[in-house]
Amino acid sequence: MSLKAEVTLHTASLRRYALVLTRDATAADDLVQETLLKAIDKADTWQPGTNLRPWLFRIMHNTHISELRRLKTRSDAAPDLPEPVVPDHQHTQLELKQVLQALDQLPEAQRNPIILIALREMSYAEAARALDVPLGTFMSRLGRGREALRQIVSGLGKGKLAVLRRKGNI
Amino acid sequence: MTQETPSEQNLGLDDELMAYVDGHLPPERMAEVEARLARDPEARAATASWRHNDNLIRQMAQTADDLPANMRLAALERELAAKLQARKRRAFVLGPALGRIAASVLIFAAGWGAHGFFGSASQIAGADYPQFVSATMTGHQARQQAAVQQAEFRPDEMDMALDWMSAQMQRKIDSPKLERLGYEVESARLLASESGPLAIFHYRDGEGQRVTVSITPHAPDQAEYKLRVVRLEQDSMAYWTDAGLDYSVIGDVDLGRITTLAAAVRD
Repeated sequence: MSLKAEVTLHTASLRRYALVLTRDATAADDLVQETLLKAIDKADTWQPGTNLRPWLFRIMHNTHISELRRLKTRSDAAPDLPEPVVPDHQHTQLELKQVLQALDQLPEAQRNPIILIALREMSYAEAARALDVPLGTFMSRLGRGREALRQIVSGLGKGKLAVLRRKGNI
Repeated sequence: MTQETPSEQNLGLDDELMAYVDGHLPPERMAEVEARLARDPEARAATASWRHNDNLIRQMAQTADDLPANMRLAALERELAAKLQARKRRAFVLGPALGRIAASVLIFAAGWGAHGFFGSASQIAGADYPQFVSATMTGHQARQQAAVQQAEFRPDEMDMALDWMSAQMQRKIDSPKLERLGYEVESARLLASESGPLAIFHYRDGEGQRVTVSITPHAPDQAEYKLRVVRLEQDSMAYWTDAGLDYSVIGDVDLGRITTLAAAVRD
């Protein structure tokens, strides 16, 4: 695969990751654009022969963290969520919103491993490199994060799904 | 902020369950975990939930594929690919092995003294080269030797060639090691020249450029040759004496490159 084709492939992956991080199409493309600009600037730090994907994701991760620090708070762009490519089913939409809300309650250190692995585009080792943490730390954060997410979603679900059931919508 | 019970921590820190959910287990281990899950409702619920949440996140992420094309991103992709390609080329030219060799070029040159290091065309006009250098030049240009060929070895016989050459010259002959510079050995020959046994190695790089290296025992009644790097009509050549052996390297390259090649042989 040519480098151009590889970069195009990874940019599509970066857009997916950015969309989950920002929850907004314009903000996602801005984040990808900033990532590519920094990658161009840091091209000499890439080691030929190593996987380009973790290198690019690491730049995006650091860019996103810097942006969060600059804004001091996460964007509350949830109302601007793009329409998910999932069955237009109220139950699924609600579940997705619950999972995203629950993700927002997790610390950044646990949220990012969950998202990276959910994309199914990197191995554990590559994702750990992208986040610049040792593999053991990454696995620990992924596991604790997944369990915490499950508990939060479970708590949210009991309330909101019960309301929908009462209304006869699901 | 979330509080974890000991039970949650145990499940979250179970690498086997994690690998099961992410499909990283071999089939036999998958079957073992599935058997475990059949007996353990808590682990079954946890893994089902992790997988379900992952699926929702991934489906949401994949909606990015339906976003309109972004021309600015496409332009940046092209610029990045070009930069990385340039980086790749530079890394090839100045990779770790070459960096080490470049350092040894400096040591090599400094050791011989920079003064008069490079020979000029006028200096070599009509110059008398050592006999082994003439044999190398002939061998490089015509792939024929004004000497008797005793043995020829294929690339996969280099270990045998070095053993054979070492035995014939009664001293250890090492590989010229030009593979670090992107060359592949094509053949090695042992010749019987007027001045004694002569080992010749023929190399070629990815673009078909040939380089020839010769090694022969230094005649004890001759003065040792300091490094000379000279420009010939088409080729450049380096020759020197080191540790009782005379070396020469010749190729259609510039003087800087032939010095790098010579340093790699000496390294």
